[in-house]
Amino acid sequence: MTSKTPIHLDINGHRHELEVEPRVTLLDALRDHLGLTGTKKGCDHGQCGACTVHVDGQRVLACLTLAAQAEGRAVTTIEGLAEGDGTLHAVQAAFLEQDAFQCGYCTPGQIMSAVACIREGHAGSDDEIREYMAGNLCRCGAYPHIVAAVRQAALEVAS
Amino acid sequence: MTVHEIRTRHCDSKRGDASDGAVLAEAVGGRLSRVDGPAKITGAAKYAVEQQLDGLSHAVLVESTIAAGRVRSIDTAAAESAPGVLLVLTPDNVLRLNTATDWLGTPPPDAPYYPLARDITFSGQHVAAVVAESFEQAVAAAALVKVSYDEMAAIVDLSDPKAGDGIPIDAMTKEWGDAQAAFASAPVRICAAYNTPREYQTPLEPHGLIAHWEGDQLTVWEPSQWLDGMARTYAEWFGVPFENVRLISPYIGGGFGSKAFAYGYSAVAAIAAKMLGRPVKLAVTRPQTFTAYGGRAATRQTVALGADAEGRIQSIVHRGVNETSVDGMWVEPLGSVTSIMYATPNFSSRQNVVRVNTVVPGALRAPGENPSAFGIESAIDELADEVGIDPLEIRLRNYAEQDPEVKKPWSTRQLREAYAAGAEAFGWSKRTPEPRSMRDGNQLIGWGVAAGTYPVRRAYGEAVVRILADGSVEVESSSIDMGQGTYTILAQTAAEVVGVPAENVVVKLGDSRYPRAGVTGGSRLAGVMTGAVYKAATAALDQLVGLAISDPNSPFHALQANTLVVTKGRIASPRGDGPEVSITELLGSVGRDHIEAMGDTMPANSTVEDRYKNYTTIATALSHTEGDYSRHSWCAHFIEVRVDEDFGTVRVSRVVSALDSGRLYNPKLAESQWRGGIIMGIGQALLEEGIVDRRHGRIVNNNLADYLIATNADIPDIEVISVGIPDPHSSVLGGKGVGELGIVGVAPAIANAVFHATGKRVRDLPITLEKLI
Repeated sequence: MTSKTPIHLDINGHRHELEVEPRVTLLDALRDHLGLTGTKKGCDHGQCGACTVHVDGQRVLACLTLAAQAEGRAVTTIEGLAEGDGTLHAVQAAFLEQDAFQCGYCTPGQIMSAVACIREGHAGSDDEIREYMAGNLCRCGAYPHIVAAVRQAALEVAS
Repeated sequence: MTVHEIRTRHCDSKRGDASDGAVLAEAVGGRLSRVDGPAKITGAAKYAVEQQLDGLSHAVLVESTIAAGRVRSIDTAAAESAPGVLLVLTPDNVLRLNTATDWLGTPPPDAPYYPLARDITFSGQHVAAVVAESFEQAVAAAALVKVSYDEMAAIVDLSDPKAGDGIPIDAMTKEWGDAQAAFASAPVRICAAYNTPREYQTPLEPHGLIAHWEGDQLTVWEPSQWLDGMARTYAEWFGVPFENVRLISPYIGGGFGSKAFAYGYSAVAAIAAKMLGRPVKLAVTRPQTFTAYGGRAATRQTVALGADAEGRIQSIVHRGVNETSVDGMWVEPLGSVTSIMYATPNFSSRQNVVRVNTVVPGALRAPGENPSAFGIESAIDELADEVGIDPLEIRLRNYAEQDPEVKKPWSTRQLREAYAAGAEAFGWSKRTPEPRSMRDGNQLIGWGVAAGTYPVRRAYGEAVVRILADGSVEVESSSIDMGQGTYTILAQTAAEVVGVPAENVVVKLGDSRYPRAGVTGGSRLAGVMTGAVYKAATAALDQLVGLAISDPNSPFHALQANTLVVTKGRIASPRGDGPEVSITELLGSVGRDHIEAMGDTMPANSTVEDRYKNYTTIATALSHTEGDYSRHSWCAHFIEVRVDEDFGTVRVSRVVSALDSGRLYNPKLAESQWRGGIIMGIGQALLEEGIVDRRHGRIVNNNLADYLIATNADIPDIEVISVGIPDPHSSVLGGKGVGELGIVGVAPAIANAVFHATGKRVRDLPITLEKLI
């Protein structure tokens, strides 16, 4: 169990080689082994959504995904969402404008879920946004602002 | 990456919200988007345990599985021989620490403090810890630690027959008139019991820390609502000077009262780091956050209201109980709203605390006021129903024109305005009074109202404001931003005073090496720190203008002006004559690379000892009734619920809240905090409940799937209306508390709405479906 295995991860368009134990989760690989701490650990049990990342374009919970499972697949984290020149993704800009966060700890997961929510076609109404964003907990209570941000970003992405 | 670096990279998106026209977005009172936002939305903001340190090792706690008894033995052999294990700490080898001064400033007993326990007083107590090279190795080895116990019978909660009536807390007694006699002779009487369960802060960032010793210097990266208080605790624990401890906490992933203290696990990590001579990270697991520190104590209240036939209150008799731990004391002040919300000639409130086998409870958003309001604001609704008048009308009929307890005028109380504005926006006049009289298909609709309040807690703070030769302005303070918007409002304050764009202001917080600040709690920080920064910035501006007028090398020297003005970073005469130069040009011509001023809100003759005490304890905080006024923020919540008639499921479908927090330093951020409080209140009313396993005294739903907090799908649009006016008696710039106010009164407003919808009065939170069918 504790012998390390070489794996390579494709994260935000960059290839990373690392040696980890098979039991290392994608979340811990990102945070502890690669220094990509934008992806947050809120529960480590798939209950809060703070660790949401995209694997091959689908939103997944990095705490319930072994790093080895992501081998050879395209992983996108919050650090890889903005353009290379720093231009924010429409969802990031909308979160800032709508004040869709306070402490900021659930925010990367919310944003990754929101990007996927829009891409999935589930941002058609406020109620639909609420439902498809319900897997990402926010204890500061930014929910109405998150709905407003997703609504705004969905319109911008569509236009 | 610092806040400033992130902001510079994303400056185009910084101003997300134009001002409403009246106030520039970047001035105090403007709707500037949060300046720490870019760091948070790009993942660049580094929270405490995310620091990457060479040689970092990982600690995992082992917790007691019994609620009362004694550790008989701990078998560490398997853990010690597990791969990667560096250290197994138990009560046998853990360092002996000193007991530290508590937050009230109580001198500690001359007794050792051991953060790992032999005597078990609650389930989930830390008994051992494993430190290993990797997190995975530490988790695996911790599971190999075998603890055996001599178990004793535990008092599991307030309803346990062994719990008893508890200890009277005389300091909580408030009495005037003859409440018992007046109640007995009142024409209308209601009396009921109201209960709230254990509730938990559950910030999304779990607690934890990285501790690192270099010689006798300790650096701790730990989410903190009180850097100076926690630094003092570490210093006293280890017997090192206060200055040797550095707390770093630039971002905090939510606290809600739970991150103001260094706890037992903090000591464990610091001990392990000292013993190993290398940095140790200890991340408390989500289940452990339910017992590593305390949530809100379970409470019981009885409220008896005696009134005349028109619903005018003649007497309030209130009795309260909250649980505390076997060996610690937590008092949740249950009479705090009861005694001030309504005018009454006769009043009695008393409170006991009951010891049970739990971790010592702690602060959770509006400790005291929150459960207190659930009692009195439910009871007044019951009285309205009893006498047959509108729930809003009965509140106006009993409106307290002054503080009924201390008999002083309110500094400001815009509660009447809150009722009016909230009722108008909600459409309260369309409410039909009879329960079950409003419906939409199989949904019973209920409209409820309740008021809330929170005292204006005042303390002291320091700040440095530095005007740099590049025209930027730095603000430094050891206060913190856990989402309330400290970075932003302090930037706005300094920008307005000095006369520079807010984007030129860099606010540095969350490092105990900066000028000191007291606890971020009790909704006090914004008022304290805007005051300190206002003073420091004013002093820095005075120095700048003084230099410009008097320095022989200044371009203004020949002008003989009495004063100069600084606008958008440019200095000029208010008369319009003479030159106009930038701050950079002026400092260049007078040969200075910066101007610096310290400002604080302390009394002028304060000693070094006074300052230390002020920033590391709450012993010297000012009472909200000190002097001529009673100071509080106020609110009124109007809430619509829809209850499924067949299943008893309750949904909150509409909220309008009108709130008086005085002057708002940044309405955009204040509105967010109000909504956050209201949303936490919705969860409290309908979802949140720590469930105790009666066999083992254990919290069984110690995770985020079973301890339910509100999700996005539970929350409707929430309209918030500011009815506050500047309150000069509450703070330097006229604000009152924001963060705690929003939650106070939400749960009773929902309970009252549920009664209106169903005709059933639920007096035990949360209001779950089995209580309605």
